[in-house]
Amino acid sequence: MAQAQPLLQARSLTQTFGGLTAVDNVDLDIQSGQIFSVIGPNGAGKTTVFNLITGIYKPSAGDIIFDGQPITGKRPDQVLRRGIARTFQNIRLFNNMTVLENVLVGQHTKMPGDVISALFRLPYYTSAERRAEQRAVELLGFFGDALVAKKDEYASSLSYAERRRVEIARALGSGPKLMLLDEPTAGMNDSETAEAITYIQRLRREFGLTILLIEHKLQVTMGISDRIAVLDYGKKIAEGAPAEVAHDERVIEAYLGRASTAG
Amino acid sequence: MATQTTPKQATPSRVDRMRSWASETMIAGRPVIWYVTGWRFALIALILTILLPLVPYDVYPGIQSLVVAMTTVWIYVMLALGLNIVVGYAGLLDLGYVAFFVIGSYTFAAGTFGQLHDWTGGGVFPVPTFPMIWLIPIGALLAGFFGILLGAPTLRLRGDYLAIVTLGFGEIVPIVFQNLPTFFGNLGMSATQPAPIDTPFGQITFTDPLNNAPFYYLALGLVVLITLGVAALRDSSVGRAWVAIREDETAAETSGVNLTRTKLLAFALGAFVGGIGGVINTAFVPSILPVNFNFNVSITILIMVVLGGIGSIPGVIVGAIILRLFDVYILGLINDPIHQSALVAPATAPLHFLANVDFNVMKYLIYGIVLVIMILLRPQGIIPDARRRRELKGIGAAPEDMSAVGLFEAEEAGADIPALDNLDQTAYAGEGSDAQGRDS
Repeated sequence: MAQAQPLLQARSLTQTFGGLTAVDNVDLDIQSGQIFSVIGPNGAGKTTVFNLITGIYKPSAGDIIFDGQPITGKRPDQVLRRGIARTFQNIRLFNNMTVLENVLVGQHTKMPGDVISALFRLPYYTSAERRAEQRAVELLGFFGDALVAKKDEYASSLSYAERRRVEIARALGSGPKLMLLDEPTAGMNDSETAEAITYIQRLRREFGLTILLIEHKLQVTMGISDRIAVLDYGKKIAEGAPAEVAHDERVIEAYLGRASTAG
Repeated sequence: MATQTTPKQATPSRVDRMRSWASETMIAGRPVIWYVTGWRFALIALILTILLPLVPYDVYPGIQSLVVAMTTVWIYVMLALGLNIVVGYAGLLDLGYVAFFVIGSYTFAAGTFGQLHDWTGGGVFPVPTFPMIWLIPIGALLAGFFGILLGAPTLRLRGDYLAIVTLGFGEIVPIVFQNLPTFFGNLGMSATQPAPIDTPFGQITFTDPLNNAPFYYLALGLVVLITLGVAALRDSSVGRAWVAIREDETAAETSGVNLTRTKLLAFALGAFVGGIGGVINTAFVPSILPVNFNFNVSITILIMVVLGGIGSIPGVIVGAIILRLFDVYILGLINDPIHQSALVAPATAPLHFLANVDFNVMKYLIYGIVLVIMILLRPQGIIPDARRRRELKGIGAAPEDMSAVGLFEAEEAGADIPALDNLDQTAYAGEGSDAQGRDS
């Protein structure tokens, strides 16, 4: 390949749940700086791939290499420390914490690890806490001042779109290299979706992020992806630039059914 | 309209009347309410508790027994604060907290009777009788160590399963100690008094029955230290991590929180505080009676936490004070007068049966009734934690500003909670994330 080693490589990634093979021998190569989309019908195994990459599931077989290091079987917090952050399809904020606290939890890895410094409020702890708060406000500011103004409200009181943003702000807190966004525009109307597209592109530009995206809306994936992989029944059935994938027979079949039955 | 009566004048609620009284009555140029909100209330309460042992016998003849009672109250406040770390912050239901109390207790006994000295060959502990001031941290560290040891196998468990396993540990640990021959089995040990301490201002003895102030101040001082420590942790990244895993373990993990470390830390710190309580209690009583180390201790401390307000430091302190004071002081005060007045009443009087009722025996029944009433009417506790109150009221509740020691606000806020609503919500109290999962 023309480019150097990919930022994230998955090699024959497989996950079985009992008799069901949710992810079947999937290979992925995500180059640094790309916006890479994973699409596919419901139940195709997209979210399972995310859970495998972020360590929520341990793969039944296969390897994941991030930044030249194997991360297969690492715990979620270890994966985050390596530089992979994520959001969830059904937003998982800490609802009874404030917006600011949510984003502060996202910076947990940046805080001193010992109890003593927190217990006695040692200078290096308090300065880390101050930095984290400043950073949290900056991260919320990425989505505009309206969100900053709500930093002391409980997360559950925010609108749906706002909660998605807070979740991204929380994920940004660890300073990741790769961001996994699981259906970031799910449940959004057209104008909110358009806004989401802009900030996904801004994430890449302003934070130098590589983005791995699960998305159903074709306007989003076709519009901003550098590359798209299509999953169906756990198998990768196609991969390529948006235009190539859109004309791939197997992809059309997976989404619309067989041409013969249609005709 | 002529027939319609004038709208009924809304009668001010009890809370409104208290509030207006508190804001109109002036003491030294400030309204009463100024003194009883926030840190000023805590400060005044602290000053009063500091002054308590100084009340002379002439003013109140029962002062020494009250000081003794209050000393055990402070010991239980410590224990409740410790359990609150595990149950209130990290959300891990621990029904075996007595285990750490026991470890602290036997550490003190082993340090005063010479077992620690014998076991270590006299190297680490050169004297058989070790000063209490060193046995406190030793007992705390040992208990903390066992907190990690007992916490480790429970890490994968949640809710009921965790509760059952911790309950088992709470039974096992006391039995192990009872079966170590060196600790005299079921007989226990008596006269485990601490040695006097020499200070530049003279000798402090902890064994004078006519002056219980030294122990009182020791216990109170430890309560203050533990409170400050727990509050500092609650407001730190550690405290946030605890709340985060309580709310959503998966989201916490993917935000960089190490579940193993964070949970074990809660177990260890809770056990550490429990160990301190055990040491002080054995030094104060001063004996070890193994029959007292049972499930009742664990459950009493848990009731203190729930009654006061799970996760709320002022709540837990108030809950422990109320329950323990009731146990060791008020029960004793009311038992005799009730017996006597019931005895002199004619045999046909409806309350005559009270003459044969020993309230000391009935205390767990009373606790049980109080707890049931509390869970029905006010599951968030006497002084609730703002976050916990939201959890108990269900997701999406409007955020409300709750000051920690805002007794008035707490009273008022509790008034508008429909009981049935809460009954429904408490079922989900132990599994916040599930309740939220339902919602989203």
